Amino acid sequence: MLAFVLYLLVGRYPKPGFTNPLSFFEDPLALRILLSVRLPRAVGAVLLGAVLGGAGAAFQTVFGNPLVEPGFLGVSQGAALGAALAMVLGAADPNLVALSAFVAALAALRLSLVLAARFRFGGQVLRLVLAGIAVSAFCAAALSFVKYAADPLSQLPDITFWTMGGLSAMGWNRLAAAAPIAIISLISLFALRWRATILSLDDEASRALGARPEFERGAIIVAATAGVAAMTAVSGIVSWVGLVVPHLARVTAGPDGRSSIPASMAVGALFVLACDAISRTALPGELPLGIPTALLGAAAFVALLASRRTGIPR
Amino acid sequence: MSLALRGASFRWPDGKLALSEAEIELRGGRVIALLGPNGAGKSTLLGLASGRLAPSSGSAELEGKPLRAWDAAARARNVALLPQFERLPFNYSVRDFVLLGRAPHVGLLALPSALDEAKAAEAIEELGLEALADRGVTELSGGELQLVRIARCLAQEALYLLLDEPTSMLDPAHARSVAEAMRGLAASGRGLLFSTHDPALALFAADEALLLRNGRTVARGPVSTIVSPAALSEAFGVAFAQRPLPSAY
Repeated sequence: MLAFVLYLLVGRYPKPGFTNPLSFFEDPLALRILLSVRLPRAVGAVLLGAVLGGAGAAFQTVFGNPLVEPGFLGVSQGAALGAALAMVLGAADPNLVALSAFVAALAALRLSLVLAARFRFGGQVLRLVLAGIAVSAFCAAALSFVKYAADPLSQLPDITFWTMGGLSAMGWNRLAAAAPIAIISLISLFALRWRATILSLDDEASRALGARPEFERGAIIVAATAGVAAMTAVSGIVSWVGLVVPHLARVTAGPDGRSSIPASMAVGALFVLACDAISRTALPGELPLGIPTALLGAAAFVALLASRRTGIPR
Repeated sequence: MSLALRGASFRWPDGKLALSEAEIELRGGRVIALLGPNGAGKSTLLGLASGRLAPSSGSAELEGKPLRAWDAAARARNVALLPQFERLPFNYSVRDFVLLGRAPHVGLLALPSALDEAKAAEAIEELGLEALADRGVTELSGGELQLVRIARCLAQEALYLLLDEPTSMLDPAHARSVAEAMRGLAASGRGLLFSTHDPALALFAADEALLLRNGRTVARGPVSTIVSPAALSEAFGVAFAQRPLPSAY
């Protein structure tokens, strides 16, 4: 809460740095900026961080693998491809770009799941990982082609900025489109958080406990990915949050999904809020959100792995 | 009231026969050992008895109803299976790990209740693992981990426990403590079926034994009559001699 309020008070108007809360009563423009620019953006940052953190923790838990992140089933690259295609095809409306990104992200997820079911190799976890790698690579290649074909003066910079992430275009209307899906995703992951711990065991062990690992893991993946796709569609690719936040959360909350998934949502929200505050205030212009998240995320990741407090077996 | 295989055979999709006409009748308070070399069909038999595999012919029944007809969670409340190997994905505390045994008692969207926590604590206590309760599972010795995994089976509150080679990776002292725990569980009314390569463990822990070779039953009956040099030689394909050897059992 404190971070949320601080976030609202940091900005470049009326003067760079902290805004005196009293000025909102005196300056109508400052109040309008607060209510229609900073507030939706803050809510968007919280949702984005919670979804990425929660989905990352859920993914790492149900895959029993601390190195997966929520975009790896083709979702991130799929969203980027969808957004880039819409831009190159001349979609002027940013909402159309977001819609295209969302649809492409879900299509990429669907393709990963279909491929994984077709593979005749390894267990479900390995097949999903391999399918995710293949679909991500395919989308990345297609994205490169779209970039190559894009107008280098107008479209290419837009595509590039989109893939670096950012919340600068977040307003109430965009938030209204993405938030319901994100909130349903968060509630589902919260409800399934102990189930995720059961699925972290080998399939043979979880099956012996009465679970249906393939079906239940699939349900958790879809719940997590829908939220990630919705938020990625309106914010671009914000890297590292889904990978590093669950590690940070497990240090204090422990590895059990009952605590690590909600903690990852909270830490994710805080992390993105803080990074977005940096994004919007560090430079006179806007710094793409993916830059501070990757910088701070990678630094935290290295510090954590060096400190041996990860809760991961050596 | 029993967990029973009657004339149960299992054929893999490629046609290879893994188990032929196995007979098992497990009741509460009894311990049955499955003896045989690698590839004899012991794990297949446990797969049938746990409901993971469906018999190609014959039947596998729990309380008179085919195991495969049971709902997965209901089956897991009656039959607990301890797989031979298990990868530990995260360093869960022993308490949280044993609590996972409550999974078949907890709804899909629910969390374990205070009662579930109490049942898990009971399971930890029954095996005398209280001192380990707050340790991480990846920090345990092989023997401690095996007891913790058995505690997770106990938390399922199943009458029947199926253990796949429960002592195969343990040193004699830990193997002995696991074997003693198994006897204790039978004394408290549970029925145990375990596979092993070790005739001494079978003699120590079991009442009955089933000797398998290439999926076929070589001998079946009270353990003292089954564990004979002649029958073991036939099953394992190497000469067994009767001689007094140092043994932890």
